[in-house]
Amino acid sequence: MTPTRRSLLAAGAALPFLRAWPARAQRQTGVLRFGLSSFPPSIQPWVNTGTAAATVKLLIHRGLVSFAPDGSLRGELAEAWSNDSPTSWTFRLRENALFQNGDRVTAEDIRWNLEQMASERSTAYHRAQAQRIARIETPDARTVRIVTAEPMVTLPLWCASYHMMMVSPRSPTGAGSLPVGAGPFVLKGQERGVSLDLEAFDRYYKPGLPRLRGIRMVAYADENLRVAALQAGDVDLIEYVPWQAMASIEADPKLRLDATDGPFMYLVFNATRPHLGDARIRRAIAHAIKREEIVKAAFFGRGSPLEGLPLMPGSAFHDPELASGWRYDPARARALLAEAGVPNGFTTSILATAQYGMHKDTAEVVQQNLAAVGIQAELRLPDWATRVTLGNRGQYDIAVMGTTTENNDPDGLSTLIDGSLAPSFVRSFGLRVPRIEELLAAGRAEFDGGKRRAIYAELQRIALAEAPIVGLAWRSQGYAMTPEVKGFKALGGALNFYSGITLEEASIG
Amino acid sequence: MLLWAARRVVVSLVLIWTVATVVFTVIHLVPGDPAELLLSSGGVAPDPAAVAELRERLGLDRPFLVQYGDFLSRLARGDLGTSMIDDHPIMDEVLLRLPRTLELIAAGAVLAVMIGIPVGTEAALRRGTVFDRATSATAALLLAVPIFVVGTLLVLVFAQWLRWMPAGGYVPLARDPWQHLTLLTMPALAIAKGLVAVVFRMTRAAVLDSLSRDFVRTARAKGLSPARILVHHVVRNAIIPVLTVLALHMGTLLGGTVLVEYVFNWPGLSTPLLKAVEARDYPMVIGIVLTISVLFVALNLVMDLVYAALDPRIRHA
Repeated sequence: MTPTRRSLLAAGAALPFLRAWPARAQRQTGVLRFGLSSFPPSIQPWVNTGTAAATVKLLIHRGLVSFAPDGSLRGELAEAWSNDSPTSWTFRLRENALFQNGDRVTAEDIRWNLEQMASERSTAYHRAQAQRIARIETPDARTVRIVTAEPMVTLPLWCASYHMMMVSPRSPTGAGSLPVGAGPFVLKGQERGVSLDLEAFDRYYKPGLPRLRGIRMVAYADENLRVAALQAGDVDLIEYVPWQAMASIEADPKLRLDATDGPFMYLVFNATRPHLGDARIRRAIAHAIKREEIVKAAFFGRGSPLEGLPLMPGSAFHDPELASGWRYDPARARALLAEAGVPNGFTTSILATAQYGMHKDTAEVVQQNLAAVGIQAELRLPDWATRVTLGNRGQYDIAVMGTTTENNDPDGLSTLIDGSLAPSFVRSFGLRVPRIEELLAAGRAEFDGGKRRAIYAELQRIALAEAPIVGLAWRSQGYAMTPEVKGFKALGGALNFYSGITLEEASIG
Repeated sequence: MLLWAARRVVVSLVLIWTVATVVFTVIHLVPGDPAELLLSSGGVAPDPAAVAELRERLGLDRPFLVQYGDFLSRLARGDLGTSMIDDHPIMDEVLLRLPRTLELIAAGAVLAVMIGIPVGTEAALRRGTVFDRATSATAALLLAVPIFVVGTLLVLVFAQWLRWMPAGGYVPLARDPWQHLTLLTMPALAIAKGLVAVVFRMTRAAVLDSLSRDFVRTARAKGLSPARILVHHVVRNAIIPVLTVLALHMGTLLGGTVLVEYVFNWPGLSTPLLKAVEARDYPMVIGIVLTISVLFVALNLVMDLVYAALDPRIRHA
């Protein structure tokens, strides 16, 4: 065959494709490939834009303290902390902590961060907490004294939040620029909506860490594709393992599942609607629900019933008796309805969302269980955005909600049951129980462990009687990975979404 | 002709303005506040003061008509605005993602032509045979099976069982051409599924029609070879309606790639549109819908102008 100009051109164009089949992207040595559940809408360090963003923030940034794998507090930018008085906390900064621009982390930097979070134009998630700070003293470059307006035993816990990261005040500003952090990895590049590439920060303050050379985070919005990507070897580690895939992952010797209960489902009420302002009715609803059916229907058996306030078993504040105070008891539910003057039940509605299967499935089980005691509920299943707005405005009767508390401390319950806070879709509407508000405030200000336990035991007893929310089910939250991934650990309970912090100790290969 | 063309252009501009106004109004009427949603990610309660601050910063506290006037004024300058989520310019996002969606559609169309035209021609030539019946039945099946089923099956077989292909994702062509084409294969096949069936059916019908025409009988009478008659007379005539239908379907695919992009993690225009609707990111929703509409309108305008140039009856109608 005589070579022609056309055939030569065609051969030239084909050269880049002359590679061996199959065509998989090869993993670079020491680089972990992480399958995210979504591409973070924003990784601004103080704004809450979801858990995928939180994982990325835990790689780039560090706060004063953080949560250790066992859930306890550990030092980060601060190597030690103590409370000098009920309203004063002192943090001693590490000498070798550096921002990724090479600047040393100083007490003035910490003050600048906290003041920015608290400022009037701030959109920081913890703005309210930052505004409880009366003043910040910086006696020297390594000492920060935080003085709060009220006694605040939980201040170090807030400082461990992934929304309270410390950034360099000298970070570049302007469109597209991101604050400079002091975490173990540096963001080297990103393909918007597709992937993020992070590289180890070689001057990270913990000797020998991070172990990985880098992390490539690829977003897989479809949960089934995320599992398929792990099984096909495209990624090494995935988050948000769908419940239906957990059994097959556990059965696969080439994969490992690390799952714990943490997030939970519950009901909130609009107390301004007929009947729902009556605690007996809310308690009747609590006793009418067979929670095992929710765990089975919505979570493929991956979870456990939640028959009290969401305080994790194993917590110092967990009481087995109080934790099962709303156990399934249809006879008790009917008796409470009769006592409240509606022996034959009533008609109401349940707001959930069709956008997330677990919300819809939970609502369907609740609807059936309520019907069994005479409460006829119509389901309303708009998209998530509409559901949030209806919840915030109190345009519902009963609503299904799923979330996790801020941390494993019972003060995290405030968001859910403190009726003095502004209306929100995460808590009941128009429902205030003054004693609960008093106990939450007392628990926040009490430094003695024993007295705190007594406060929260009383709070649980009152909550069981008043039912400001009704717990339904703990749901399992899982990460799956190949056996080559070492050192990564899923944190338990409410801290599950903090698991990304263990990536500084992870290795691959 | 010039006057007619100018009229068509004006009509197209009015159409685009109508779409822009309808989308702007509808997205603002749908319940859901962008500021609340952005600060409620992960099912948490946002600080009301932070929500109010964000609403002010995003301009959502202004009256609807003021927002609309501002939107039209920016649109007139070709500015689609910035995302409410991260301030990213929407035009940049569209210019980044639109080529990926168009590439997916083009790849699907190429596959549809490469498979549909030869198989459709062969089925017409073997009309009534087992081959004809089998291919027609397959085409019906391809049309009937939902695209997400085909997509999921492709992932299951080629990524999870055989491990020949990555499950999904995207690598820019400039970074790794081989990986790029590999990742394009399965979504292109999935998107080609329905088009193959359409092209097959149209080709078969058009070839059968051409085969019965006088010019084919004349060509045979002149003693031309069957291959020459098929290629130069039958297929060449049959292909015109096939390509017209293909062009129309490609237009509809602009809005129909959503599932394929989602199933295969292909970062085209559909994913940000879905996310923008969920988050009520008004400028992003309007920007993407408007882009798709402009493409539709432009495609139709070009087709109208071409038809009018070819057929004087249209412009005098």
